[in-house]
Amino acid sequence: MIKAVMVMNTQGKPRLAKFYEYLPVEKQQELIRRVFAVLCGRAENVSNFIEAESIFGPDSRLVYKHFATLYFVFVFDSSENELAVLDLIQVFVETLDKCFKNVCELDIVFNYSKIHTILDEIIFGGQVLETSSAEVMKAVEEISKLEAASNAITLIPKSASGWRSR
Amino acid sequence: MAMHGMRGLSVFISDIRNCQNKEQERLRVDKELGNVRTRFKNEKGLTPYEKKKYVWKMLYIYMLGYDVDFGHMEAVSLISAPKYPEKQVGYIVTSCLLNENHDFLRVAINSVRNDIIGRNETFQCLALTMVGNIGGREFAESLAPDVQKLLLSSSCRPLVRKKAALCLLRLFRKNPDVVNVDGWADRMAQLLDERDLGVLTSSMSLLVALVSNNHEAYWTCLPKCVKILERLARNQDVPQEYTYYGIPSPWLQVKTMRALQYFPSIEDPNTRRTLFEVLQRILMGTDVVKNVNKNNASHAVLFEALALVMHLDAEKEMMSQCVALLGKFVAVREPNIRYLGLENMTRMLMVTDVQEVIKRHQVQIIASLKDPDISIRRRALDLLYGMCDVTNAKDIVEELLQYLSSADFAMREELSLKAAILAEKFAPDLSWYVDVILQLIDKAGDFISDDIWFRVVQFVINNDDLQPYAAAKVKEYLHKPAVHETMVKVSAYILGEYSHLLARRPGCSPKEIFSILHEKLPTVSTTTIPILLSAYAKILMHTQPPDQELQNQIWAIFTKYESCIDAEIQQRAVEYFALSRKGAALMDILAEMPKFPERQSSLIKKAEDAEVDTAEQSAIKLRAQQQTSNALVVTDQRPANGAPPPVPVGQLSLVKVPSMITTEDNGTLSKVDPQPPSADLLGDLLGPLAIEGPPGATVPSEHNAVSGLEGAAEAVDGSAIVPVEVETNTVKPIGNIAERFHALCLKDSGVLYEDPYIQIGIKAEWRAHHGRLVLFLGNKNTAPLISVQALILPPGHLKMELSLVPETIPPRAQVQCPLEVVNLRPSRDVAVLDYSYKFGANMVNVKLRLPATLNKFLQPIPVSAEEFFPQWRSLSGPPLKLQEVVRGVRPMPLSEMANLLNSFRLMISPGLDPNPNNLVVCTTFYSENTHAILCLVRIETDPADRTQLRMTLASGDPTLTFELKEFIKEQLVSIPMVPRAPAAAPPAPPAAQLTPQIPANDPAALLAGLL
Repeated sequence: MIKAVMVMNTQGKPRLAKFYEYLPVEKQQELIRRVFAVLCGRAENVSNFIEAESIFGPDSRLVYKHFATLYFVFVFDSSENELAVLDLIQVFVETLDKCFKNVCELDIVFNYSKIHTILDEIIFGGQVLETSSAEVMKAVEEISKLEAASNAITLIPKSASGWRSR
Repeated sequence: MAMHGMRGLSVFISDIRNCQNKEQERLRVDKELGNVRTRFKNEKGLTPYEKKKYVWKMLYIYMLGYDVDFGHMEAVSLISAPKYPEKQVGYIVTSCLLNENHDFLRVAINSVRNDIIGRNETFQCLALTMVGNIGGREFAESLAPDVQKLLLSSSCRPLVRKKAALCLLRLFRKNPDVVNVDGWADRMAQLLDERDLGVLTSSMSLLVALVSNNHEAYWTCLPKCVKILERLARNQDVPQEYTYYGIPSPWLQVKTMRALQYFPSIEDPNTRRTLFEVLQRILMGTDVVKNVNKNNASHAVLFEALALVMHLDAEKEMMSQCVALLGKFVAVREPNIRYLGLENMTRMLMVTDVQEVIKRHQVQIIASLKDPDISIRRRALDLLYGMCDVTNAKDIVEELLQYLSSADFAMREELSLKAAILAEKFAPDLSWYVDVILQLIDKAGDFISDDIWFRVVQFVINNDDLQPYAAAKVKEYLHKPAVHETMVKVSAYILGEYSHLLARRPGCSPKEIFSILHEKLPTVSTTTIPILLSAYAKILMHTQPPDQELQNQIWAIFTKYESCIDAEIQQRAVEYFALSRKGAALMDILAEMPKFPERQSSLIKKAEDAEVDTAEQSAIKLRAQQQTSNALVVTDQRPANGAPPPVPVGQLSLVKVPSMITTEDNGTLSKVDPQPPSADLLGDLLGPLAIEGPPGATVPSEHNAVSGLEGAAEAVDGSAIVPVEVETNTVKPIGNIAERFHALCLKDSGVLYEDPYIQIGIKAEWRAHHGRLVLFLGNKNTAPLISVQALILPPGHLKMELSLVPETIPPRAQVQCPLEVVNLRPSRDVAVLDYSYKFGANMVNVKLRLPATLNKFLQPIPVSAEEFFPQWRSLSGPPLKLQEVVRGVRPMPLSEMANLLNSFRLMISPGLDPNPNNLVVCTTFYSENTHAILCLVRIETDPADRTQLRMTLASGDPTLTFELKEFIKEQLVSIPMVPRAPAAAPPAPPAAQLTPQIPANDPAALLAGLL
């Protein structure tokens, strides 16, 4: 299973962190820092693997991809195929690219909630949910429409929040 | 693309980005959290849009690493909102911020269920996503059947069904005992006919989870998997959107082949043939191309196919094809493929006949050791380590040595350890081994653990031919400008013992040897000085005829250190000085060290323990069984002069100084018994040359030395009615069995036992006098465990039924064996699991206490003063009420004692006793005979003396009162020795009893533990 997805920039600032097994927030930050410490020392044109067991404990693997100012990092266990997970990073990034047209770091920073939505359509509870970026886009657009529709409604009366007094 | 349009969120993120430093960021975050908190408090005025905005801010803050410890309830309550946006927010926050044990989740279960069984697909998706991310037990209990229905429903859209499949998978993985998958084989087979690739991919993941648990039930799925693979890999029958860089859904291909690896074999010849055709096509049809993404995808499939071929133990031809492919990969430029090529080759070493083929690629592999990528260098090191044997050890070890000087800091320790092990294991001759270790110390002294230099000293001592060579070698190293302290230690030891063998060589006179050694003294630490002093004493003794000048020099040093603040140095200085003035007697005391008994290398043992079952490890073990270098035998069971056989531990026969005095008094050099090999290597090497070894220091350490195995047994306290023992040939448990048991007495799930082959986990649920334990037997290896047997030896008061334990546990699989427990009456006796299995030639038998202890049948109960006192009074005097003054209590603060009792489900009721030094405890005990009985306990402690207390217990059942009293006592008294089992093991040498194969006096065992 996939244990964690992290996106961080080349300064080590987290841009997205999703852990599929619960970890306290301090632990999450520590892991992000340790991963960054290893990644920032790596050259270009090397493999996409780094040794993960010293950071994430036994039976952990890690693949990452470096795009412009961002690192995309997926951590998983031996039940997953390394290269297939690497492909999945590519699918994630390609989907972002389709969504934002030449995605850059700022898109990810300012569309934090959208990135979550996209990721949730690709990985579900640590398992690969969808690998076709076209299908992912379809699902995400559906959600966007729903949100847009409901946002429009809320603009009219403000007093509709009485549902809690049911 | 439309933005989500939350201006407030964007503004906040901008603010955070504009912060100059962490402090500013914190201030901004605190301000925002304050704001959100106030807004939530006055929730009525919030529009759904605002709620959403605030919640996303919270999530953003959470990602930045700040704890968001409020708003949980609000988030959870949003789940039950009727409209999409609020519901969405509720679900997203819940799945990000809460873990499966969070109490608030319980509140939401009904709403979640309504969404799942409702008709709104969007809501279904939200609910499934949250449940799948959290996977809690209560969700599993109440939602699994509904999720199953969704997955199978023909009216649901694929979008919902694929989520249902993965949701079910998560619930099953986390709570396999709750999710009922009986009869799922047919449904799975049906799901595999699915045309929608999204649903099919998710279903395949679900199948992997199910077959890994129990492959036999799903054999009908096997041909379907082969069909899917055929459809994808051969017919390329895939919708366009699922073709990734020209490869038909690599994920589905990979998952399908993963599922197939959980079936032990493929019986049906047709299916088998079809599968091999497809595999053949994958193996042959994949090339390295320019596009990196395409390469990754095609090779994901290829490497999975390789793994499947290895698993199916295919015909020779196909296997050699695999090796050839891997040989190609380790030479390609593409780093990912090279990395995986090396890794898979290491795995391939397990298949015995391919080693020769792999050796052909040695040059390439060695080249990878110099790759710019550390990840690849690591894999290359692992592979070289795994493929090393007598034929290539010299080349490989020399490469490793060469690489050591330029290796990354992070790798040096591993590298030098591996080099040392290989050198020892496969040395073509002894002098080469000495050379290698000395080079290691020279190049990477900081990373050389003591065991490495202890070991080389052992070899030198045991092999007469080697002694002059080693002495000459170390002397050369001492001439270097910078000498590592470890080198000083080895040199001092070896030169002290054997430099006289070189006396005729130029530059090797005692005086010269002394002065090179002594030059180093100012540079070394206090741990090395004693070794130097011993060396001086030996050099002095070996100087024939005596050299007055040298003697004066050395005596001056001894005198100088006579007042050293370090006790060890001082003692040696004083004793050597005194002894060396006694003249001839010195000869006997400082005689050459006797030979060491043959023992397993602590290094190799340590490596085996540490790495347990990694592929390279198994590979080297395999190789070691096949062929071990004969050069390195630490020979000589007994010293040449016919000393008595080794004596048991604990009788370290050290030559005592008084006996020396008598010999001198007699004026004759009567024969002092040569010392039998000491059991303690540290004692041998670091002790003052066997003149009154520091017993105070060595004896207790020997005790500890009795490694994990005995340590565990030792800790088995008298409270176990059945002496629990572990009999093994070579298999040692990982971790302390007794500690694991004690931990499980306090909690309901955890690991009961682990060794390199198996892990036994336990998960228990207790309700009144019933218990349901599930034993999880996990095979950690890639080979099956066979002849598995589990027997429960229940004590009289427990009725226990263990469900059938399968005779074979397939590789990497976990089987679950539920165990039903009924408590008939109060007793402290403990049930024992008698467990055995065979792995390869090893028969392992383990007896483990099961944590079905008295406290598991307790239920804490709060009792008010009005309820307590009438009860307390009505139970008057023995046998229903017992009082005892307990002494020897482990001193602990009162609060700690309260916690301890609480953890045993003995609930502290504060305020009932006016004296703050007293504790009042209430609990209910359940058994079939007694039903629920209230137990009341009062503990009076003495703040002046924490080692004693007075305990009064009352319950409606005399046996219960007694048993509970004894139970609590066992928990409080420091050494829980209970005289109930007088026949049980006296504290006599536990090693001898427990491990007949490793006698207690086997120094190797002690040594191993010590190091």
